[in-house]
Order: sequence, then structure tokens, then C-alpha cells
Amino acid sequence: MLQQVLAGARAMIPSEVWAPRILSLLRIVLGLILLQYGLAKLFGFPAVEMFENLKWSSLFGIAGFFELIGGSLLILGLFTQPAAFILSGEMAFAYFIEHFPRSFFPAQSEGDLAVALCFTFLYFAFAGGGPWSLDALLARPKPGTAA
Amino acid sequence: MALLNSSGAMPRALSAFSFLSVLRIFTGLELLEHGTGKILGFPAVPSFAHVQIGSLAGAGGLIELVGGILFTIGLFTRPVAFILSGFTAAAYFMAHAGKGFYPVLNGGELAALYCFVFLYFVFAGAGPWSADALIGRK
Repeated sequence: MLQQVLAGARAMIPSEVWAPRILSLLRIVLGLILLQYGLAKLFGFPAVEMFENLKWSSLFGIAGFFELIGGSLLILGLFTQPAAFILSGEMAFAYFIEHFPRSFFPAQSEGDLAVALCFTFLYFAFAGGGPWSLDALLARPKPGTAA
Repeated sequence: MALLNSSGAMPRALSAFSFLSVLRIFTGLELLEHGTGKILGFPAVPSFAHVQIGSLAGAGGLIELVGGILFTIGLFTRPVAFILSGFTAAAYFMAHAGKGFYPVLNGGELAALYCFVFLYFVFAGAGPWSADALIGRK
């Protein structure tokens, strides 16, 4: 009896099955956060005061394209690793040209989000999109073919 | 998770597992920075200037300070990440969600992102470069 309870408790321990699934969940949330920046910069939705009258050809506008396309790819989990690698570079770039000159400490330069995104993308560039992704779907062997 | 256990093409130091620890360390440092900013006044942040330790923001600062240290060195990573995930979720809904639905408008992107990053660490553990790995905790 006790052994069964302990076995049940062990089954509750975060498993190798669930870690990749939560990775996929994190990827989707990350993509959504990024996508709203792309939409706000390029299409003015949601309307953000700072991004008003922003030109598509400006530095912010180009960043918006990265965020729009990269965010969409991350949500879908398509080409996750190259997309995440490029976005990691974009965030590092954003941090060093926009925030770092203001202060060494991200809490003072308001670069916390850029740093956090940069390293999260970097992790995805190595870890991939997890099981809930188009990448995983496309990699699955087709039915009827020998695996 | 294609590269997680690969030992062939990619050198081990460059595997996803190592970058899990890199992500953990930088997330912990940023959290710690918010904690020291609120509790010790360093680095000096204008919006943290009048935080009292007994207040809600001060209690948050203590959680960030202790949680940030443990998370950076990677000690008790899973339970600490579980608490911090709940902490950042509460921070998002108490401090940010009321200001607007979209995180880009309510300033809660970092809290939302951290909430899910910490949730991932509950399941994934600390990675190889951690106190947990040194003392043999998984």
C-alpha cells in the first residue's frame, strides 16, 4: 500500500515527458509576447504611444518585421532553431544599442526584457521547439513508410 | 529536443543542456537585481526608492532577493522555480493586468515571460552548471 502511494508520488515528479511539453508552452507564450511588439510597431495594434508614427524603414520598423515574422514562426514552432538564433541576435543588438549605453544595470536601463528574451531565444536555438510544434509534426515519419 | 542528449556532432559544452544553465543563471541574476534594488537600494531605481520591507513590494523584493540567489547558484531549483512562477503570476495579475489586457500596454511582459520560464525550470531542473548538479540533486 505504502509502496503504491510512493510510486504514485514518484509519478508526480516532473518527468522527461512533461519538460519538453512545457518547453513548447513557453515557446508559444514567448512567440505571443514578441508578436504583439511586431503588430504594435508595424500596424499600430495594440496602440502604443511610443510606437506612434513609426516608419517601416526605420530601425524600429525593421525590428518590427523581425518580431512579426519571428513571433509567428515561434508560435507555430516552425524553423524554431534558426528563428530563435536570429531573434537572440536581434535582442542582443537591441540591448546594446538601446539600453546598455544608459546604464550597466538592466533595472536602470530598462533592458531587463531584452536580456531575458535574448537568453530565452538562445536556449531555444539549441533546444528546439519541443513536441507541440510544426517542426515536430514535420519530422514525424509518414504513415506507411518504414521509420 | 534534438540536441539534448547528442554527443556526436556538437561539443558537450555547446549542448542545449548547458544553455539551460546559462538561461537559469541570467534569469536568476536579473531577479536578484530587482531584489537588491528594492531591499538594498542598489542599483538605485527611482520606482524602488520608497519601497518599505513590510509592504507588498518589499515582500516581493525579499522573495526576489532570496529566490534570485538560490536560482542563480542553482540550489533547490525546482521548488524555488515553482514558488517564483507563482510569485511572478501574482505580480502580473496584481501589478500589471489591471492596466490593460495587452502586456505591451500594461508593462507586464517581463512578469509574464518569467512566469513561464520558471514553470519550465520546475520541470526541466537546473541543468549541469548548478549547485543541484554538484550535490547530486536532480
